[in-house]
Amino acid sequence: MNDAKSIIETNRLTRDFKSATAVDELTLSIAPGELFGLVGPDGAGKTTTLRLLAGLLDVSDGEATVLDFDLKSQAEAIKPHVGYMAQQFSLYGELSVLENLQFFAELFDVTKQEQNERTQRLLEFANLTEFTNRRAVHLSGGMQKKLALACTLIHQPKILLLDEPTTGVDPVSRREFWNILTELHVDGTTIIVSTPYMDEADRCSRVGLMYAGKLVECDTPQNIRGKLEGDVIQVQAEDWQKTLETVAGLEGVSEAQTYGEAVNLLVDNGKKRLPEIEAVLKKSSIKYRSIRIAPARMEEAFISLIRRMEAE
Amino acid sequence: MNLRHIWAVTRKEFHHIVRDRSTLILVLFTPTALLLLMAYALTVDIKHVPLAVLDYDQSQTSRAFVQQITAGQDLDLYAYAASMDEIDAMLMRGDIKAALVISPGFAADMQALRGMPMQIIIDGTEPESGGFAVEHIAQRAEEFISTALASQLAARGFSVKTLQPIDLRIRTWFNPDLKPRNDLIPGLLSMVLGFPALSVALTLAHEREHGTLEQLLATPIGRTDLLLGKIIPYILVGLINVIIIPIFAIAWFGISFNGNFLLFFGLSALFMFSILSMGMILGVFMKTQAAALAVSFLVIFFPGFFLTGIFFPIASMPEIARLEASFLPGTHYAIITRGVFLPGVGLDILWPNAVFMVFLGVAFTLVAALFFRKKLG
Repeated sequence: MNDAKSIIETNRLTRDFKSATAVDELTLSIAPGELFGLVGPDGAGKTTTLRLLAGLLDVSDGEATVLDFDLKSQAEAIKPHVGYMAQQFSLYGELSVLENLQFFAELFDVTKQEQNERTQRLLEFANLTEFTNRRAVHLSGGMQKKLALACTLIHQPKILLLDEPTTGVDPVSRREFWNILTELHVDGTTIIVSTPYMDEADRCSRVGLMYAGKLVECDTPQNIRGKLEGDVIQVQAEDWQKTLETVAGLEGVSEAQTYGEAVNLLVDNGKKRLPEIEAVLKKSSIKYRSIRIAPARMEEAFISLIRRMEAE
Repeated sequence: MNLRHIWAVTRKEFHHIVRDRSTLILVLFTPTALLLLMAYALTVDIKHVPLAVLDYDQSQTSRAFVQQITAGQDLDLYAYAASMDEIDAMLMRGDIKAALVISPGFAADMQALRGMPMQIIIDGTEPESGGFAVEHIAQRAEEFISTALASQLAARGFSVKTLQPIDLRIRTWFNPDLKPRNDLIPGLLSMVLGFPALSVALTLAHEREHGTLEQLLATPIGRTDLLLGKIIPYILVGLINVIIIPIFAIAWFGISFNGNFLLFFGLSALFMFSILSMGMILGVFMKTQAAALAVSFLVIFFPGFFLTGIFFPIASMPEIARLEASFLPGTHYAIITRGVFLPGVGLDILWPNAVFMVFLGVAFTLVAALFFRKKLG
């Protein structure tokens, strides 16, 4: 477990609040350069985990090291090397885009010369060049998120901790945001990002699934998808509503969801259920263009894992 | 201490003050408005107290007496009443605050040098006006009698120089007119100039409530640097008030300023530092703006009002209150403002207060930094 290569290492890391244990004996090891996705339902402990790693919360129990600094005794020593982005907008609304960047540059001891270079580059990077003098409060949600990211990047941190950076952002901005993250990932920055979006989890090099404060799965997206119990059967039907009603309660079908025209069914055994479902559809004279066993997506894997957790 | 960090926070906070109109108004204009309000509310000179007279004597002497007591601006003759019932009605309606009943035989009694009964009725719901009327009437009555006596004695062949053997000559230094405002307003400065302490108390809670504290705590800034960076801009803005308010006090209230202005400015800066540090302690402990606001009034403003000796002399307070008073920056600053404004004393006398304010400021800042943790929750 004490992998010499890891940049973040937690051992039974625990954080109690008055009412609940938000993070419960989390043991995790993250290698330099990873793009690690933290997923889980609301209240699973993702935000608390990120805040702990950023040195913003006291550790209740267990240990953790970030860049070989002890989280409990050397939290302040970690801060210069970490870029933390809070979930809600937490920049200064009355300051302009440029002033916000400058403020954080000063606090992170970025030299004037570096500041000038990086400010220009980050503004371009975040597509904010034309809004340089606009007050942050007057930016759109997506622009605010990009500015926040720019502010956390101004000191070129070794580790980025991003708490749901794309929540409430339109799809185009979301795409742009992830392109930036991918670039940083390629450049070797270690990134831990929490997200409610499964397509984003799919872009990570590794994904940790949290549930009730515990890390219940931690693997590559591919392997997590592989852990799906059962298969996905996809039906391209003409009348998806009727299809959904007809097949939802069938034996072996645990989940039915629509994606546009398609109906995705989570079944215990694809090969066994496919002919059965086909038969039911024919009997009900429902017309469909195709029916096939589809590759599982992150979303189905996630839902099935959570269902299993809830059942236990 | 990292000056660059302090300056970054100061500049940021300065932007916040200047761009957020409500903060700007709170910091810049409230002290003047407060001074105006308190100076007027607390130094009401009682004048024109309405008085009714029930004159049973109906003589020339009694009328002369009434004329003498209602001369000037102190008492106004509202009406001659015809009966006690009428006086009762006027008091009930609030038309008069006091009534004078002159008994029959007033003129005869005076002529005969007998004791002259005289009744004054006052409205006890407003004791200040009533008490003022009593005092005023008693004083005028004495003058009236003295004059009458002197003329009677003269008529009988006695040459009288004066009826008052002691010639008391009072000379009031520093405030020759004994105007309460001349003393009160310099004292009030310690209250009104301390007002930005409220904004300082709110500033951390404001960041907490707006979520910006989370981002700030994730930076490597030192605790003391953060607190100092937040206090400094309020000191600077507060010093604008240190210039505005004395000018206002001199121009509007006609208060004389006899001391050295530069000394006053410097000592005011020390006061700002100590009182704002006190506000910062509250900011560190109070997690919401509402709580910080409420506790500021409890801990800074009420003691500032009652314990700093502006209204009640500290010497007459119980020991525990005197001790608390010595730990309030306002106590020392009130001594300084009163000293600098009227007698115009210098640092040779005021230095202990200056030293104590520095001590309080440093102590408060250290306590705040000690208890301020760079953690959420």
